[in-house]
Amino acid sequence: MTAVSRKCVPFTPFDGDLSKATVSIVTAAGVHQKNQQPFNIADDLGDLSYREMTQEVEAADLMVTHHHYDHADADRDINVVFPIDILRRLKEEGFIRDIARKHIGFMGYTMRLKDFYDETAPSIANEIDRGSRADAVVLTGG
Amino acid sequence: MAVQREIEMRGIPTVLITVSPDVSAQMRPPRALHPKGFKIGNSLGKPEMPDLQLKVLRDALSLLTENTRPGRVETREYAEYGEFHESPGVRKI
Repeated sequence: MTAVSRKCVPFTPFDGDLSKATVSIVTAAGVHQKNQQPFNIADDLGDLSYREMTQEVEAADLMVTHHHYDHADADRDINVVFPIDILRRLKEEGFIRDIARKHIGFMGYTMRLKDFYDETAPSIANEIDRGSRADAVVLTGG
Repeated sequence: MAVQREIEMRGIPTVLITVSPDVSAQMRPPRALHPKGFKIGNSLGKPEMPDLQLKVLRDALSLLTENTRPGRVETREYAEYGEFHESPGVRKI
């Protein structure tokens, strides 16, 4: 992978029209489907894994596993950190064209920062690049 | 955040919604929206306030089409949120 200084900001211009864009959500808020393995909150070093969610995913199928913030609000309404219903409304309005094929949840907490930077972050970016067909990505967390 | 930078490096534009603007600014995000006063865990606002969530998401996506400065966090206020939480500061080393 190309090494990029932290001082340098990688920036891809968005040339286009949001109404023609497909959008993907990537969240560090510990969101995953209820039928997926929860993140490992027992490990003090954190969890480096991530979960993929599909275009059809429903808010009711989602939950949060994260021990470094109070997610009671997300438990009531996942859209506060993973705005899938809101993205659908923007599609209905014609503000965006479509919901991307793939979305990603991860825990965003780890003591193994080098592994996160060297492995997890590039893997998530690859999933989005190759699997989501997204024209743009909205990220939440932190 | 690191993931945002990686996605941008693959040629896909991104926008981060952050409630920890000082922490996020250290990572110099390509584009970021900071809804002022929102607490951690409320990136889009409060539960069951879909109109507020819609406004925040629309503002975030709109940053893609605006002439923002890479590395800078854009702060916006949303009175309907109705509360103010101090965002976490950056630990001085």
